[in-house]
Amino acid sequence: MITYDDEVVCAPRAGTLYDVLELILDRGMVIDVFVRVSLVGIEILKVDARIVVASVDTYLRFAEACNRLDLEHDVRSKTVPEMFGSPVAKTVGRAGARRTARSLTDKVRDVLAPEHEPAHDEEAEEPEETELRPRERTERTRSAQRPRGRTAARPRDEDDRPRARPRRRTEEEDR
Amino acid sequence: MTAPATTAPESAAAPGPAAALKALYVYGITPAGVRVPRSPGVDGSPVGLLTESGLCAAVSDAPPRLRPRRRDLLAHQAVLDELAAQGPVLPMRFAVLSPRTDTLIAQLRSDAAHLTRQLDGVRGCVELNVKGTVVPGHFADLVRRDDGLRTLALRTRRRPDYEANVRLGEAIALGVRREARRAAREVVDRLAPLAVRTVQGATDDEQVLSASFLLRSADEARFRAAVAERARACGDRLALSVTGPLPCYSFVDPRPAPPAGR
Repeated sequence: MITYDDEVVCAPRAGTLYDVLELILDRGMVIDVFVRVSLVGIEILKVDARIVVASVDTYLRFAEACNRLDLEHDVRSKTVPEMFGSPVAKTVGRAGARRTARSLTDKVRDVLAPEHEPAHDEEAEEPEETELRPRERTERTRSAQRPRGRTAARPRDEDDRPRARPRRRTEEEDR
Repeated sequence: MTAPATTAPESAAAPGPAAALKALYVYGITPAGVRVPRSPGVDGSPVGLLTESGLCAAVSDAPPRLRPRRRDLLAHQAVLDELAAQGPVLPMRFAVLSPRTDTLIAQLRSDAAHLTRQLDGVRGCVELNVKGTVVPGHFADLVRRDDGLRTLALRTRRRPDYEANVRLGEAIALGVRREARRAAREVVDRLAPLAVRTVQGATDDEQVLSASFLLRSADEARFRAAVAERARACGDRLALSVTGPLPCYSFVDPRPAPPAGR
């Protein structure tokens, strides 16, 4: 069994921008007599800040892992991250395992190298929408996604119309 | 009625006398008497304070064009962090402007009682944000416990093809997510009693927990220990991370008072 060291998973940290993005953008006070500038590119930012795990690619990986299980006998002690190797030690850099164990790996990586993001910031100031993607992206197979090159991320004047977002699955649907 | 006092930082040419008509970027509201934040504001502008009715508003000149740039989001956050370190602060959402200086002063004056009450509500408190993301793991456990999944897995194994694998994988993904959501509910159930208030944010397929907790500063260590305990308990299903202490973004009324009949 993997053990999750609290130093790793729960290390206190100042918070990367990704961690506070939704708070800065969606919470906090707005006063009626003040004006909230309509922000272009926000939807894109939020979409990019999240990674969609639900893709055919991921499904196939899960199925593959499942197919390696011994279904006839009790195999309770095995977990998939374990089969892929310890997430901290081995997952990084192994393209296959990486995607499946991604959320955990990213958490760990964030904690281990929290200064990575701000440091990167100082260099590349220009492609603003782009640089806010804190994590590598997986291919998305969901049809709702717009192509996400620079063109898609370019704001169109002051127009703040809603854009396609990954569908939010509600808890009820999963039951 | 007190005359609006403008405290300009020595370094900053912040709202000067001719600036009554200039738009201001507003960071947050604090009780009067805080020090001027040293961090540069949005677009690199120096931050100044406007004082009225026992309240301070941290402001800077509004940039000609405001975009959600990383640099500016971080600047907004840094100014608020600095204010929060001095005491209670009501953080504004990113990109809130006051069209004119006198509008802001008038707002502080007319809404003073309400704003002061809100400041008292977050005094001595911090916000900690806990996020939980799905850990795709313990498939064996899922398959063992879920007959439907097991049947599907066995069938797929007997007749493996692309479609069957996609269906199996999707079913597993659903199971993994369901487990993570269950763990997330447990996390909130354990943590909420330690907090003064709790607010849950939007979740999606990947991030199934995003909750903010308003904590008395003294309880922060206890809270972190509780998160660590949960992280150990459910780490094979849900990866937890804590961010904070933060200005209390989630615990201010987003719209404090209707504009006073203007």
